[in-house]
Amino acid sequence: MPIAQFAHGVASGDPRPSSVIIWTRVTPTSASKPGSGVGPDVTVRWQVSTTSTFTSVVRSGDVRTGPARDHTIKVDVTGLLADTTYYYRFVYGSARSASGRARTAPGNTSSPANVRLGVVSCANYQAGWFSAYRHLGNRNDLHAILHLGDYIYEYGPGEYGYGQNDVDIRKHSPAHEVLTLADYRQRHAQYKLDPDLQRLHAKYAFIATWDDHEVADDAWKGGAVNENPGEPAWATRRAAAYQAYDEWQPVRLSGTAALGDGTQIYRRLQYGDLVEISLLDLRTYRDQQLAVQADPATADPDRTITGRAQLDWLKDSLTRQATQWKLVGNPVMISPVTFAGVPRDLVKPINDTAGLLPPEGVPYNVDQWDGYTDDRREVFEHLRDNGVTDALFVTGDIHSGWAADLPADKATYAGTRNSVGVEFVGTSVTSNNLCDITGTPPRTTSIGVEEILKANNPHLKYIDFDDHGFSVLDITAKRAQMDWFVIGDRADKNAGVTWSVSWATTAGSQTIHAVDGPVA
Amino acid sequence: MTPMTDRRTVLKVAGVSGATLAFSSKLGAAQAATTTKRAYVIVVDGCRPGEIDEMANLKALRDGGTWYPAARSLPVMETIPNHVMMMTGCRPARNGVPANSIYDRTDGAVRDCSRPTDIAVTTIIEQLNASGRTTGTVLSKEYLYSVFGDRATHRWEPFPLLPITEHAPDAATMDAALTMIDEFDPAMLFVNLGDVDRVGHADLTGTTLKAARTAALASTNIQVGRFVDKLKSTGRWASSMVIVLADHSMDWSLPEQTISLTSAFDADATLTGNFQIAQNGGADLVYWTGPASERSTALTKMRTLALATTGVFQAHVIDQTPSLRLGPKAGDLLVYCKAGWRFSDPGPQSNPIPGNHGHPATEPIPFFVTGGSAAVRKGIARSARAHTMDVAPTLGAYFGVKPPQTGWEGTSRL
Repeated sequence: MPIAQFAHGVASGDPRPSSVIIWTRVTPTSASKPGSGVGPDVTVRWQVSTTSTFTSVVRSGDVRTGPARDHTIKVDVTGLLADTTYYYRFVYGSARSASGRARTAPGNTSSPANVRLGVVSCANYQAGWFSAYRHLGNRNDLHAILHLGDYIYEYGPGEYGYGQNDVDIRKHSPAHEVLTLADYRQRHAQYKLDPDLQRLHAKYAFIATWDDHEVADDAWKGGAVNENPGEPAWATRRAAAYQAYDEWQPVRLSGTAALGDGTQIYRRLQYGDLVEISLLDLRTYRDQQLAVQADPATADPDRTITGRAQLDWLKDSLTRQATQWKLVGNPVMISPVTFAGVPRDLVKPINDTAGLLPPEGVPYNVDQWDGYTDDRREVFEHLRDNGVTDALFVTGDIHSGWAADLPADKATYAGTRNSVGVEFVGTSVTSNNLCDITGTPPRTTSIGVEEILKANNPHLKYIDFDDHGFSVLDITAKRAQMDWFVIGDRADKNAGVTWSVSWATTAGSQTIHAVDGPVA
Repeated sequence: MTPMTDRRTVLKVAGVSGATLAFSSKLGAAQAATTTKRAYVIVVDGCRPGEIDEMANLKALRDGGTWYPAARSLPVMETIPNHVMMMTGCRPARNGVPANSIYDRTDGAVRDCSRPTDIAVTTIIEQLNASGRTTGTVLSKEYLYSVFGDRATHRWEPFPLLPITEHAPDAATMDAALTMIDEFDPAMLFVNLGDVDRVGHADLTGTTLKAARTAALASTNIQVGRFVDKLKSTGRWASSMVIVLADHSMDWSLPEQTISLTSAFDADATLTGNFQIAQNGGADLVYWTGPASERSTALTKMRTLALATTGVFQAHVIDQTPSLRLGPKAGDLLVYCKAGWRFSDPGPQSNPIPGNHGHPATEPIPFFVTGGSAAVRKGIARSARAHTMDVAPTLGAYFGVKPPQTGWEGTSRL
């Protein structure tokens, strides 16, 4: 049974060699409901130990919280040992929270044998049970969880649920689309009450970034798709969503655990000399998506998905020499997914004589990097010009599994096989995918679409439009391997899990290959 | 080429293919030394790291030893300087060999940096000789044979040299390496296999390139297989460390993607006639030859002009960029091209070779320390960024030889 004063569980995040964020929410009175703004300011004690029984508390302190921060508590615990498992808990009066567990990152100059991450994204509460989180939480071999966004969804009941008819397996709270600070707080609180997610949080530190649904569908810097008259102004709504996120997630925004000091979520986390994780924010700074997929403005150099500052930061991440692997936590796909296309070097002459072409073909989805190809061109050229090896983009958003080379030039890739990196895309925890939307049985309609896409995009080696689940990414100096695990029916609270496929990239190869089985 | 001197003895033997192999040896060197600890350095010239997976024999060596997947070539990413860095353990600012091609201010001409006297420090070859061991070089390219001069106890003169590429094919090179092992059994043998690089230079894009490159990789793989078989069949494997690496990687450019800095500089009246360019594939070394009083202004201007030229990636004033560690022989300005481009000076047709290296795109290299010796850690990989200059310190650590007075900048990768 959850402890009433700590009903929302505990969580940790952003592990560094000597520090980690720990989080909880205290409910000091029955009236102090999330988003209510009701309840007293209180002091909560936190404790960190090297043992699960807390016989040896190595760090502790008192922290004040109250309705101004929705009674959340977020502490950046410092002075810890590298690559060490710690246990943490919170105490309010006589109430003691469940204990959580977090492992600090290895020292920056150390050489870890491997780093193994659970990879998840796109968990729509209404679309089903979080069995993917449960099965991931059953594992004992992970260093942390990489969450690539859409941790919550903004919709109200009946708006986006399970399958073609949007059946609500569970109903969102509050019972309407979230718009205000109180709404977002309540929505986060509802998700944190899910037992599968709560258990996963308690077991592993999260390394998270956001995608669009933490605010609203297809968010861009000036708005989103589902904005309607009478709703708060975009800036107000987004600020509320970001504040709630900062309160309720164990992340460092703008480099700190403090609230209100900035909302920069793009950041780096290092695991020895093996891998550095650069988490992107592809919503806050992007220009509006194009309405027409064939619009040649997809390549307009004045349009951006990252913003100038973040793009420069990403390029710096990709050429830093401290680690072998450059892992990019990438909320939306960067692989080109288009129909046809001509070699990049021929685009200009063709356009000069025959009008305007999208230089890399007609894109499948302009909400991805495909809608902002000049930013992608700059990233890919940066990788190629600098001879960067072992750039690994790990992605969410698209509710399906993909594995791809990253072609230096999509149109000539079939002949040259010139790749600048690789991308692994994890499927959704619950959010609808192609077979859910079409209402067709798995492995029927989707197979044809998958094959058409692969035929038009030979760098795409694997697509699964039908399944939900999680992935496990294991990185060693020799290779990076992603295992895709799929769950049964999302409507089944006790859905099982099976291994689906595994793909890997050998160090230095910039290309992927299928693997016979998962790492564990 | 440095002619063989009369201070060395010459041995001519028939190789496996029937061709005559010519070896020269220092006077007094035993024909077959008594050796119980051996090291071999095999350079697969111009090999890209991912290509090791296409060569089963090299892959087996890599997977059975200590692999450094993040290894890099060092500026300028050309053949001569990186081979010299391997044998000297230090960067060009110290060892005196910054590029394949330099402008020699004394000679007043652009030349290959391949004179034995270009190397300004003691090589590991000489150190091993001084420690009482014997050494050998089997280098497929004439300028490599030249630059190391008569430092090795035994050396093979590359032959036959193919026209245009001026390198000996891998089959002949491996014949020589195996024969040298049989005849002299040097404690350290330094081998350069040139086919992969030379095919890289000789072709362009598409299926032709892929087919030619694949054929070269397959051929080199066979030659390395012969080498491993030799060590194993003669009982040398258990006492051997084998370092396999490339000197640089390889890039390819489209025919029209050439860069000519000459025309850009000549268009400026204050620059024309006052500079020289030494072409190094994807890197141009620019030398100011005008009045010293105008050098600073001219360099600023040349750098600006270079950066404004399509296809240029970076331009560095060498003495203001200490991290390059290139030294004065590299001149005043280093200009890199972008991937997919090449320099062609003085005009666009001057450099017809599409395969290209020298620029940062060609830094990644395979690098692994393998072999049967107990000193080799088996079956592991390390994320550390190894470099070509690490070869000498690795050999030093293996043989217990200390750095020369001029020191090593590299790190042992044992």
